[in-house]
Amino acid sequence: MATFKISKLLFKSLFKKPATLMYPVVPREWTPVTRGHIEIDVNSCIACGICQKKCPANAITVDREARTWEIQRMQCIQCNSCVENCPKKCLTMKPEYTTPNTEKVTDKFQLPAAAPKAAPAAGGAAPAGGEGLKNDLDACVFCGLCAKNCPCGAITVDRASKSWTVDTGACAQCGLCVEKCPKKCLTL
Amino acid sequence: MGKRTIIPFGPQHPVLPEPVHLDLVMEDEKVVDVIPSIGYIHRGLEKLVEKKEYTEMVYVIERICGICSFGHGWGASAVIEGALGIEAPARAQYLRTIWHELSRVHSHLLWLGLLADGFGFDSLFMHCWRIREHVLDLFEKTTGGRVIFSVCKVGGVRKDIDAMTLKEIVDTLNSLKPEIEEVAEVFRKDASCRNRMVGVGTLSYDDAVALGAVGPVARGSGVVQDMRLTGAGVYDELGFEPIIETAGDCQARTEVRIREVFQSIELIEKAVAMIPDGPIEVPAKGNVENEFIMRMEQPRGEAFYYAKGAGSKFLERMRVRTPTNQNIPALVHMLKGCDLADVPILVLTIDPCISCTER
Repeated sequence: MATFKISKLLFKSLFKKPATLMYPVVPREWTPVTRGHIEIDVNSCIACGICQKKCPANAITVDREARTWEIQRMQCIQCNSCVENCPKKCLTMKPEYTTPNTEKVTDKFQLPAAAPKAAPAAGGAAPAGGEGLKNDLDACVFCGLCAKNCPCGAITVDRASKSWTVDTGACAQCGLCVEKCPKKCLTL
Repeated sequence: MGKRTIIPFGPQHPVLPEPVHLDLVMEDEKVVDVIPSIGYIHRGLEKLVEKKEYTEMVYVIERICGICSFGHGWGASAVIEGALGIEAPARAQYLRTIWHELSRVHSHLLWLGLLADGFGFDSLFMHCWRIREHVLDLFEKTTGGRVIFSVCKVGGVRKDIDAMTLKEIVDTLNSLKPEIEEVAEVFRKDASCRNRMVGVGTLSYDDAVALGAVGPVARGSGVVQDMRLTGAGVYDELGFEPIIETAGDCQARTEVRIREVFQSIELIEKAVAMIPDGPIEVPAKGNVENEFIMRMEQPRGEAFYYAKGAGSKFLERMRVRTPTNQNIPALVHMLKGCDLADVPILVLTIDPCISCTER
């Protein structure tokens, strides 16, 4: 049986530069796709709450009343699920890891105040004017897909009485209903 | 007969990366009986299927384990795909196979390092992990994560790998081959390794079959059992043949894993040469109505996945049975009659992953 079989490897290693980096003096190089931390563009965020719903780790909290977007950095698992599902593409994954910390960090962002909403309006034969979601009732088949996909529960569809209503106060204008509508009768 | 003593082993022990507890019933220096107990790291991940939609559940399931995370992500995606009645496109299957085999390379190199650390050969441990680091860099470059990849999704994969990066993967692995060969020679020939492994903890073919051993533990005892033969992925197109050793001791199990590292590199080379163009995912829509089972070959052995739909976006039940769970009876059998000094090595040779076992 041979002994010191590793000596050749060890001897070679003596003349090589170290395989490790002098952390934290030598900065780590990130790849462009490294999943490090989430950043939010508060100006584009509409507080729809889809990121909160899609987060497997419950790290995100969206408060629509107070207009805040909150992320628990230690809870976040960098899975990219919120970034993929954000309808407004205001979330981005940045390659740098968050700095090491001895405390659990929560970052809270204040979103700009929402534009004043019109009073709750029922859809009419002609699309109503003003801000928000509109439905062309002539084309609408009252399938209910918009209501089913609405993350805010702002749309009510009654197939029997052929009525379609939107609670403009609750609507986050995320555009998911517009995307899902098979008849393309919704507009934002 | 000497006086019997019970020595507790774990849940905190230098060779254990994860908590498992063994009560070793000793007579002098010999182990006569072993009572294993788990339950130190249960997280209740399977229960989360009731609260997380099946698309998000893949993220949870792949976090069962930090080492074979890609396999778990693939298993969870594939079992839900089966229940939904959809099939991932061919390119996605090739990409999954490439990532899964890369996982095997990094898992086995990690294990070789831990084994060397287990018998106090720390320079060998560090060289194994130095080589493994290059594989982790490949993962980071292609998926964005080093150990948890989040690229597998129901219906396919999230990220494609371009031809140049595929070539880079093969080139990097080929450049690692001589380095892996160097450390493998130490495991195979050095006296300090062979003295600790040859003839220690022999598990016969019959015992391996009777105790339901899986993965390299079973293959080290001559059992031809590898779930890569059963259809998941593109292993049949790559001409996969399982690696078998017959001695059944620690050296045989180590040899199986060393040879599997080289085999995985060859499989990746073939997959890169054969990968077809095309889409990398199909849309996964609708509610899960049916149930489905699936078996995957993880680096540690056979993992079993079961999903049952609840007629909604949530599943009624998701079950994962992991290889370590299957190998604990074989471990208990191997430990009976061994010396106390060999217990750490024997525990390591089943490549225990307790986080997988308890989920």
